[in-house]
Amino acid sequence: MKNEYRPLNLFSLFGVEMLKIRRSGIFWILLIPAVMMWLPSAMNANVNFLVNPFDISPEHNYFIQGYMGLAWFMIPATLIVCTVLLSQTEIRSRGLVKCLTLPVSTAKLCLAKFLVTIVLAAVQLVLSIATYYGSALLASKLYAYDFLLPLSYVCRCASLIYLAAVPAAAIYWMLSILIRTPIFSAGLGLASIVPSVLMLNTEIWYSYPPDYPFYILMTEYGRIAPDVFGAEIQLIPMLPIGICVTVFSLAIACARYGTAERNSDSL
Amino acid sequence: MSEMNIIETQNLTKTYGDFTAVSHLNLHIKKGSVYGFLGPNGAGKSTTMKMLLGLAKPTSGSFHINRKSYPKDRIAILRDMGSFIEAPAFYGNLTGEENLEILRRILQLPKSAVADALELTGLTEHRKRQAKKYSLGMKQRLGLAGALLGHPPILILDEPTNGLDPIGIHEIRTLVRSLPEKYDCTVLVSSHLLPEVELMADDFGILNHGRLLFEGTMDALKRTAENAGLPTYNLEETFLSLIDMDNRNRGERI
Amino acid sequence: MSGTRVPFLQPFLETRKLRRTGFCPAFLGGGLLGALVPAVNMAVRAESFTSQSGSPFRILMDANWQLMAQLNIFLVVCGACILYHTEYADNGIQKARSLPMRPLCLFLGKLTILAVSCLLPLCIEALSLLLCRAHWFSDSAGAGRQLLAGLAFELVLLLPTAAAMLFLSSMCQNMWISLGAGVILVFFSSMLPQGSAAVALMPFASPYRMLHQFSGREALWMCALCLGEVLLFCAAERIYHNIRRCFS
Repeated sequence: MKNEYRPLNLFSLFGVEMLKIRRSGIFWILLIPAVMMWLPSAMNANVNFLVNPFDISPEHNYFIQGYMGLAWFMIPATLIVCTVLLSQTEIRSRGLVKCLTLPVSTAKLCLAKFLVTIVLAAVQLVLSIATYYGSALLASKLYAYDFLLPLSYVCRCASLIYLAAVPAAAIYWMLSILIRTPIFSAGLGLASIVPSVLMLNTEIWYSYPPDYPFYILMTEYGRIAPDVFGAEIQLIPMLPIGICVTVFSLAIACARYGTAERNSDSL
Repeated sequence: MSEMNIIETQNLTKTYGDFTAVSHLNLHIKKGSVYGFLGPNGAGKSTTMKMLLGLAKPTSGSFHINRKSYPKDRIAILRDMGSFIEAPAFYGNLTGEENLEILRRILQLPKSAVADALELTGLTEHRKRQAKKYSLGMKQRLGLAGALLGHPPILILDEPTNGLDPIGIHEIRTLVRSLPEKYDCTVLVSSHLLPEVELMADDFGILNHGRLLFEGTMDALKRTAENAGLPTYNLEETFLSLIDMDNRNRGERI
Repeated sequence: MSGTRVPFLQPFLETRKLRRTGFCPAFLGGGLLGALVPAVNMAVRAESFTSQSGSPFRILMDANWQLMAQLNIFLVVCGACILYHTEYADNGIQKARSLPMRPLCLFLGKLTILAVSCLLPLCIEALSLLLCRAHWFSDSAGAGRQLLAGLAFELVLLLPTAAAMLFLSSMCQNMWISLGAGVILVFFSSMLPQGSAAVALMPFASPYRMLHQFSGREALWMCALCLGEVLLFCAAERIYHNIRRCFS
């Protein structure tokens, strides 16, 4: 048995990491923001009938306004809480110390955990689409107007928003490893959300990855209401910067993962 | 490196700032033996074990485990070692069985390994309970089960009987004693109680303030104590006198 | 013991518990971050603000206060979480509750610390606004008085949020629950309509308001009502403590 041993590959390690979050309550962290976003929207759906200067249909307005809260605040906030929770689970349980005594690469462990974050974001993407349809259906019943948009359109927009959150997720994952006090890594992450709207309105919006999901949503807003925002996604320089930021953050995270446990001076 | 020794250290030293935790340590652990690593709290036992597991980098000196060394052979060394360091590490949200399942998957062991380790440590009936609801003794057993998983050739156990009741201590002691014969493994077990280790170990290393005061068999320890004029009628007394003598000498040196 | 005889010493005792928790660096860092907002905003888009007519402070506050206030609210949320987390993490609260002092003293001590700590970021932010005004605007008449009045007003408006968040943190043994609830409340308060008078008074929403939005009389009323809210949260803490004792 021992002679056949080959260190686990990234995807098997990912399976192990997924096992660790059983009963951790992380599902509720994903679901609650999605429900909290859409339920009030359904209740106040009549505001979408008010005349607005951008000549946008009520159903599109309903969709954009709802996802605005998610893209600006809830997606980054969820990512921050998930990354801090994932790294703190290892620190508090001493699970990371145990993992360091196992025949497995720490860099792979770190990447496997980041993959878990991405999968959690994907789960929230599905939940946000499901809750959108639930609330749009409720709004349609309440105000006798069809608020439902085609599934392909909703899926495309929502997926792009979540995809644009990957560089920010990598930054938050790096922060959760570099800053070991949970309240500080969460606090710094949350503080980074605040200026994203300000940054989006500047020429150098692409230098601030936390505003990417909001940027994607605003370009969609621009497509259906041309006066609001640019309609074209400027992939250059967003894409290369996003990739560089992701790779750089993950490289630092992998290099620093477990170093505090290794350098601990407890006797 | 001697043929017989599976673990050997050469002048192994670890300092934290101006504090020396382990000083010029030369350990010789024979293959297939139980090696009792003794010393009062803070003597440097855990630090030595952490260095052997790659959790702490030696300041100077070197060591070999099964002819391999860090960081070149890290994966190869760790796959041959089961360990239990300081406090048990477990995920409170998972059951005892799930905690071991994580380790089993990483070690790529057959599924039966989990049931086997649970059985060995007497946790079978509590396997479905969340680890955060375990008592102190059960958590300790879970940590031990993690170390024993897959019967690794080398076992490093840091005060494995902490928090156990007298029956539990006896069970673990019997288990550790039986391991070399049953699974052909080598055990390095630490404790701060000589009578405790005396019942399970073949060889002993006594550590105080990071320095190795003695290494050898129980008979050799008795002879050394007699020669030094220390009491030998009671092993605990011998151990305490040895430590006390070293502390006095140390005071004079300082 | 001293808590029974000299309750006003409680904040001093509480400050000792905050050593090495990172509480002070957090408020200092938060203040610096808040101070960066107007500086960056002016550096990037100076023309769109300098071209506006009216009081420079008003222009600067209108352009930046939403973000600065949100950062301050986040700071209060994190600060309250740290203050109670130090109690709950290693069960220090059990010891504190077994000491001969009134339970509300603990809450009031922490509230005093949080309120005083808020002064640090507010002062740093005020200094930043002053520097921005001096650098980008020529009119600097009456700057000091306006700044001091604004600073005091914003401090009073932050107090209900601090009291509410401390009340929440005292109820939650798990810091993640109080932090999560705080973050959600911050989010929803930022979504509330700006014009409503009721919303202006709500904890988590009141710090977004600015002194120049109110007449002198209205501002005094705002301050009085905010202080009233603080008293309400103190009373709520007292009631909660009595209920908790009955059920624990």
